[in-house]
Amino acid sequence: MGKRKVGALEKVDADLPNLQHKIRRDPVSYKNDFQNQYRQYESFRDLFMQSPETTDDNGIISLRDLIDFISHVADCYSEITSTFPDDLIKILSLHHAVLETELRDKIVGSLVLLRNKDVIDSINLLNTLFPVLVTTPSKSLRALLFQKILSDLRSSNAKTKNHRLNRTIQTVLYNLLTSDRTSPKGIWAVKITRELWKRQIWTDSKAVEIMKEASLADNEKVLVGGVRFFLGGDKEREEAADDSSDDGGHIDMNKLRHQAGINKKSKKKERDLKKAAATVKKKERKQNQPHPLNFSAFHLLHDPQGFAESLFSKHLQNSKSKLNLEQKLLVLQLVSRLVGLHKLTVISLYSYFLKYLNPRQPSVTSFLASLAQSTHSLVPPDVLEPLVQKIANEFVSEAAATEVCSAGLNAIREICARQPLAMNDTLLQDLVMYRKSKDKGVMMAAKGLLSLYREVGAELLKKRDRGKDAAIGLRIGDIKERRFGEAEAGEIEGIELLEKWKEEERRKKREEKGLPPDAATDEEVEEVDEAEDWKNWVVEEDDSDDSGGWIDVQSDGENIDISDDEDNEPPPAKKAKVEHGGEVGDSQQDKENKEAETAEAKGISKLATTRILTPADLAKLQELRLTASVNKAMPSAKRRQVLEARHADDPLTAAEIEAPALLSIKKTKEEKIAGAKGDREEHHQSTTAKRKEKKMAEGKSTTNKEKARKKNFLMTLGKAKSKQKRSLVETRKVLRGHIDRQKRGGKRGNR
Amino acid sequence: MGSSSKKKKEKKKDFQKPKLRVGKARPKPTNTTETSFKAKSIIIGQQSLTTTAPSVTDQFAHHLSLLKHKSDTQRRDSLAYLTSAINSTPPGSPLPQTGAVIIPEVQPLILDRSNGVREQLLKLLRSLPPAEVDSHADKLLLYMRAGMTHLAADIQLSSLDFLDWLLQDAGDEVVGCPGGWAKTLKCFLSVLRWQTDDTGKWSNPQTTLEKSGSESKLVVKQMTTLAAFLKVGIASPKEDQGQDITPNTFPLWHTHQHRLPKYSNAYRHLNLFGAPRDEDSEMYESREDRQRIFRKKAEAAIVAGSDEAKKAGGDTGRAAAQLRKVVMEAMADYSGVDDWDD
Repeated sequence: MGKRKVGALEKVDADLPNLQHKIRRDPVSYKNDFQNQYRQYESFRDLFMQSPETTDDNGIISLRDLIDFISHVADCYSEITSTFPDDLIKILSLHHAVLETELRDKIVGSLVLLRNKDVIDSINLLNTLFPVLVTTPSKSLRALLFQKILSDLRSSNAKTKNHRLNRTIQTVLYNLLTSDRTSPKGIWAVKITRELWKRQIWTDSKAVEIMKEASLADNEKVLVGGVRFFLGGDKEREEAADDSSDDGGHIDMNKLRHQAGINKKSKKKERDLKKAAATVKKKERKQNQPHPLNFSAFHLLHDPQGFAESLFSKHLQNSKSKLNLEQKLLVLQLVSRLVGLHKLTVISLYSYFLKYLNPRQPSVTSFLASLAQSTHSLVPPDVLEPLVQKIANEFVSEAAATEVCSAGLNAIREICARQPLAMNDTLLQDLVMYRKSKDKGVMMAAKGLLSLYREVGAELLKKRDRGKDAAIGLRIGDIKERRFGEAEAGEIEGIELLEKWKEEERRKKREEKGLPPDAATDEEVEEVDEAEDWKNWVVEEDDSDDSGGWIDVQSDGENIDISDDEDNEPPPAKKAKVEHGGEVGDSQQDKENKEAETAEAKGISKLATTRILTPADLAKLQELRLTASVNKAMPSAKRRQVLEARHADDPLTAAEIEAPALLSIKKTKEEKIAGAKGDREEHHQSTTAKRKEKKMAEGKSTTNKEKARKKNFLMTLGKAKSKQKRSLVETRKVLRGHIDRQKRGGKRGNR
Repeated sequence: MGSSSKKKKEKKKDFQKPKLRVGKARPKPTNTTETSFKAKSIIIGQQSLTTTAPSVTDQFAHHLSLLKHKSDTQRRDSLAYLTSAINSTPPGSPLPQTGAVIIPEVQPLILDRSNGVREQLLKLLRSLPPAEVDSHADKLLLYMRAGMTHLAADIQLSSLDFLDWLLQDAGDEVVGCPGGWAKTLKCFLSVLRWQTDDTGKWSNPQTTLEKSGSESKLVVKQMTTLAAFLKVGIASPKEDQGQDITPNTFPLWHTHQHRLPKYSNAYRHLNLFGAPRDEDSEMYESREDRQRIFRKKAEAAIVAGSDEAKKAGGDTGRAAAQLRKVVMEAMADYSGVDDWDD
């Protein structure tokens, strides 16, 4: 039998995409056709349910195509297809392990499509996909499901937070983790939560609670996933936010508008322009939006003490826990960060460290960092003292390698920076002697310890080591010994700096206007100030510009936004004067000294209690605090940058403990040069060369011109010779031919 | 001499100590062997080394497996081989493989895209002894229903051929299996477009009159097969059958009912382990049940449709008249109450 001719209409009927297109345009007329297809689907489904493993490759139309077709038009015939989603759900959840991969993926895709068409709801979809994700042995299916689940959660949270859905899913994840602590399935809860946390879709304490349960799991993978989330989840989130804020590039509206005026006008171009305008507007709105308050996972924990204790007792103290060193270190880091951040009391933690503090212990620097991190001002010094002693004995000696020695000294410094009382004077004086060491790393570490104790406990040092400031301070009684558990009276750190700065600003302004700098406040000026101030409630960009040299900035009207509302209360300067009996005419220096005295006498500045600090004020305060501390301790610009970049919540890492050891390694010349160059691009190339390289990399060929240029000289020689011997007629022929070819556009004529 | 600086350096190289660093893992010696591996199993390829020719059974199994081959001709040739192998077995002796093995392998080919394969498959199925087919009727019927509603007209046509064959070989099984009666009826109605529109809206019934050529041939075929199907399902039973069932061997009465059942899964109508069935997929084993369902679901549509088709005359008209006659005869003695279960 020969090939049967297929009629045109029949061909059209067999074309599911075509039918789909027609149905989309006119669902009512094609109802009958759809019904036939649906019946076909039903018989295929029955067949399939008989033996889910067999594939129907040989057929013209497969179940896969039918499912695809029906799910695309299901919203047009909701009563015919009422059982369709349930069918798919049933097939997927019963047979996902034996299904042919393409069909399986198609079913997943169709379910998501049905969800996007609102045929089924998100909860239903996720409740179907999630159990499959957890149970399936197929890696590719897991990847697909994970991606689909995430994207569905994202899209349903896109406009507003879908709290109901989030709660349901969070409960499912929580139950997955708590129902069976030994199973590795919990890793999916961890993955989903981490991803959604990163994208700032889940930012509440419930997500943190899930991760808390994960880190208390028995399975290593789940446990490590949970712990890693706490250690790195927030940083990841910040980075993701940074990435998303500067994506898409900058759109130049003016240029686009100009182009639209010149180029050919079409509907598409118009649409593009509108779209671009919308994006620009959206971006602007996004920039003006207040930054969302994102608390880090540590701050959202409900019961940090309980969490830290159970982590410690379950994974570290427990002799039956089977974690390897790396995993143990992770848990230890988490425990120590919790302890350090929330100032928790887990006394047995410190004795746990004792065993690991010797130079031959692998990754001992991480242990040292964790120990330092878990130290805070409320840890009893007698618990820490043996640890410090042990570090000193094991690490710091003339016999030890310089690396070891510097690491030990640095670790001791980090511990003592957090709890200065952990040190006694004999040990300190011993350790400080190492500043005479020949090795640079050891020397710097010892010097660091020395300068620390000059600030926090100068009386422990020998007299000649105390330095000028500390010695004077001790003699005057400026520096007092800090007792254990002693807390500063409630004050805002650096508030006096702010006060002083404000005063100075005000005086400058008055001088500009030609008023006596210290006269009583002029109500009118203040009023203007106030209005300006409240307008600029939000911190402005140009605040940070004058952060470096705030002392010599000329006031040019830009800075008035920082002044405060001073209607109701008299300014602090005035108060000071009143107390001192109104010494208005005093010289500048005199006055400042007295102010300082009064501040000391009062102890606490009144600024914070008498007025509301605007966010701009707080930003300035932070800035002043930093500059003050930087100015006091280290003038170098590089150190200042480092300090500014460091946040109070940031962890202490092993690399920081090892840092001084780097000083003792002599760099080669190449390394020095590379370091000085930084990571600038060094290989200079012209744009043409770059383009050429790109073309080569893409595998595109060269132009004829280039080929001619590159041709071997000897190969061209023959032609050049014969060219000279041509007769006039031949020359003419060649030239004619050239003109002809030019007109035709190449040998074969390409137009 | 060991005096040159190069030689000195080389000598030094041999005795260099690995540098140990605090907090880092100890570096591995240069002569370590990596012993970790990830493979769960190791597969060693092998080839058959037998020198004797494979037995008939082996070849039969091999050709069964070739039915999934991607080439049309290969599938057809394998089917041809299987057919000849079955035909060549002497009547008394068993087949090289049992029907329970053969039929599940060949049944997907009912929907095969190649015409030749389907024709060859019909030959193979015809060559199978009816006893082997009985227990697989319900699965085969599923494929036939899928074929009847298939998009391609030639698959529809050949699936009707298959159904004809199945009705001949295992008619009772076909109409009595789960879903075999109601679903197949529904399927016929839908492919003939004689559906009763239960939504109550007016619709444009596409009459059989307008069709021409291959379309009308298909319709004729559908109607004749439907007539055969109805004949098996609800036509009045032949007289001799009743005598056959109750042989009067005096002291024993109804012996066949006390014996072990002749077919497998004797209690399947109870549906002990499957999913609950709805009205369509229920088993209708007695003639009265089938008549009731026919009256309830299909009779009106078929009568109307065949009346309409009769007007077309020619082959179509003749087939429609035949169908009408079958319906009349079958439902003549039906006295059931129509709204029995409404």
